[in-house]
Amino acid sequence: MSVGEGAAAAGDPLPDEPRRPPDRGLRHTAGEQTPLSSLALAAGAGGLVLVFAGSAAVATAYGWTPTESLAEAITSPAQLVVLLTSIGLGALAGIAGLLGARRAMTKGAREGAISGAALGLQAIVLAGFLLWFRNGDVERFARQFFDFALLSDFTDRFLRAAGNTVVLALSGEAIGIALGLVFAVFALSSRRVVRAPARAYINFFRGTPLLWQLSFFFFGIVLGLQLDVGVYTVAILVFGLNAGAYSAEIFRAGIQSIERGQFEAARSLGMSYLMALRLVILPQAIRRVIPPLTNEFVILIKDTSLVVVLGLTLSQQELLSTARDIYAQTFNATPFLAAAAGYLAITLPMIRVVTWLERRLRSGLTGIGA
Amino acid sequence: MNSDGSLVRLEDVHKWFGDDLYVLRGIDLAVTPSEVVVVIGPSGSGKSTLLRTINLLEEPTEGRVLFDGVDLTDIRTDLNAARTGIGLVFQQFNLFPHKTALGNITLALRNVLGLSREEARERAVEQLREVGLEEKADAYPGQLSGGQQQRVAIARALAMRPKLMLFDEVTSALDPELVKEVLDVMQRLAGEGMTMVVVTHEMGFAREVGTRLLFIDHGQIVEEGEPREMFASPGHERTRQFLAQVL
Ligand SMILES: Nc1ncnc2c1ncn2[C@@H]1O[C@H](COP(=O)(O)OP(=O)(O)O)[C@@H](O)[C@H]1O
Ligand SMILES: [Mg+2]
Repeated sequence: MSVGEGAAAAGDPLPDEPRRPPDRGLRHTAGEQTPLSSLALAAGAGGLVLVFAGSAAVATAYGWTPTESLAEAITSPAQLVVLLTSIGLGALAGIAGLLGARRAMTKGAREGAISGAALGLQAIVLAGFLLWFRNGDVERFARQFFDFALLSDFTDRFLRAAGNTVVLALSGEAIGIALGLVFAVFALSSRRVVRAPARAYINFFRGTPLLWQLSFFFFGIVLGLQLDVGVYTVAILVFGLNAGAYSAEIFRAGIQSIERGQFEAARSLGMSYLMALRLVILPQAIRRVIPPLTNEFVILIKDTSLVVVLGLTLSQQELLSTARDIYAQTFNATPFLAAAAGYLAITLPMIRVVTWLERRLRSGLTGIGA
Repeated sequence: MNSDGSLVRLEDVHKWFGDDLYVLRGIDLAVTPSEVVVVIGPSGSGKSTLLRTINLLEEPTEGRVLFDGVDLTDIRTDLNAARTGIGLVFQQFNLFPHKTALGNITLALRNVLGLSREEARERAVEQLREVGLEEKADAYPGQLSGGQQQRVAIARALAMRPKLMLFDEVTSALDPELVKEVLDVMQRLAGEGMTMVVVTHEMGFAREVGTRLLFIDHGQIVEEGEPREMFASPGHERTRQFLAQVL
């Protein structure tokens, strides 16, 4: 509770985010490198860059499409030279790095040598894999997975699919957050008759597979009872119920993490239980649970793919069902790569947001240091 | 006021935590308006529990609490309304960290008392001025020193215009040099005629400001009296021992 005693004079800017530990990287130690460590760094980095840039250059020279020319590029002598050179550079980096690290007189030189060896090892592993790979039926593989020409025919469908993925996940999460808030409060009730059903709901939806839930609610309940509810709606409801159970646990933990004194102060000012919850506890708890909630959301984005089992119409299909659908039509697996790219395009920014939020919340800039 | 002229009266109050912890063992206490009752006693003797039963933050297991003519232990009583008449200040301040000093005060004014935005703001600023913190209105608790936080907490309680103020070791979490600024506010409040029940280890405050001293041990009022007299000649051996330790 000695928070801010240092910043006593109010209006003082809050202390800066704690500095990260000093970087162990190479940026500041260029001057310390020895010939051996420099060699290791140059060979390692060169080898790794060559694997990527060289292979890309060869593929570009032969042409990425059609798949025949891509396959030709992969099996070409030029590509073999690229890979063998990379492995050679990697090996050189490894040897120079090991020797350099042992003889290094400064920390910077040792870091340089070790980093060079690490990069070299990566070049060897990657180039080695590609070397092994080009001995297989590359022709067939390229046709199966790298038919980028085919994708251009389905651009619209993939864009709509990405939109559907986002809509499914967002609506599910919105329902989930609302349910989660309510059931978290129920689960915290001092009355067993209120608590028990909340726990039952939470445990049931956390304890059974989402795939089972989707199947049961659609095939079991909707089709079984002949209800007039569409697949898409059922999917959103089930995602909402599922997300609600997980969010409830997150909110419950968040609410419990707020000191008792906050609640007591609110009650002693004449606030009702619900008013104290709404005005004092939740505003603080919600800030604390934003990172885990966003994590849940990322998981839900990926889990929307489970709707493939329900059989969606063309306009309802999300990323994975679109990929599977196109695969069934064309017997070409490239759409799966496109689907993966779609998921990453949605989830990676979310993951970055979580990291950013966590850092921000930890640094106490929101006034929740205490 | 209660029928006997007291502002608050505890009648044979007992408090159990669970089946084994017997914390208040028959408390009888009447506080008349403008009294400043100072409660002292060893740690764990039940002082905080006693204060918290007065505004029913802790429900007595047995006994009655009467405040301003209302039986707070009656199930039909609107406790939320009754609590607006009783201010409570905590050892740990318990300011709302997501609200500014001003926001801490206006929150209940707006939502509990139903004041308009302007009225609430006006009253909060005035209250902050009274504790000498007008210029900190827009500071968040994390930007205030412990003494300043506690004065905001007092202002927050006073803004409700309570008839009774309860203080639970409000200076115990403060660095020594910050204690005085808080005690000064409390002393002035007492001088203005506020009825107060104060749990504290500040014996100077008890002697100078207290109108009655209460010594509690093992959940019972062992001895009570005029502070100076009690300090000079405690009537009980246990009081004598306790005072010898703290003085
Ligand atoms: N909410 C509670 N639940 C269980 N035990 C409690 C609770 N509050 C206080 N106690 C116990 O009651 C006893 C008296 O506590 P308290 O009134 O805080 O003493 P004091 O304020 O005089 O130090 C202590 O043993 C404490 O652990
Ligand atoms: Mg106490």
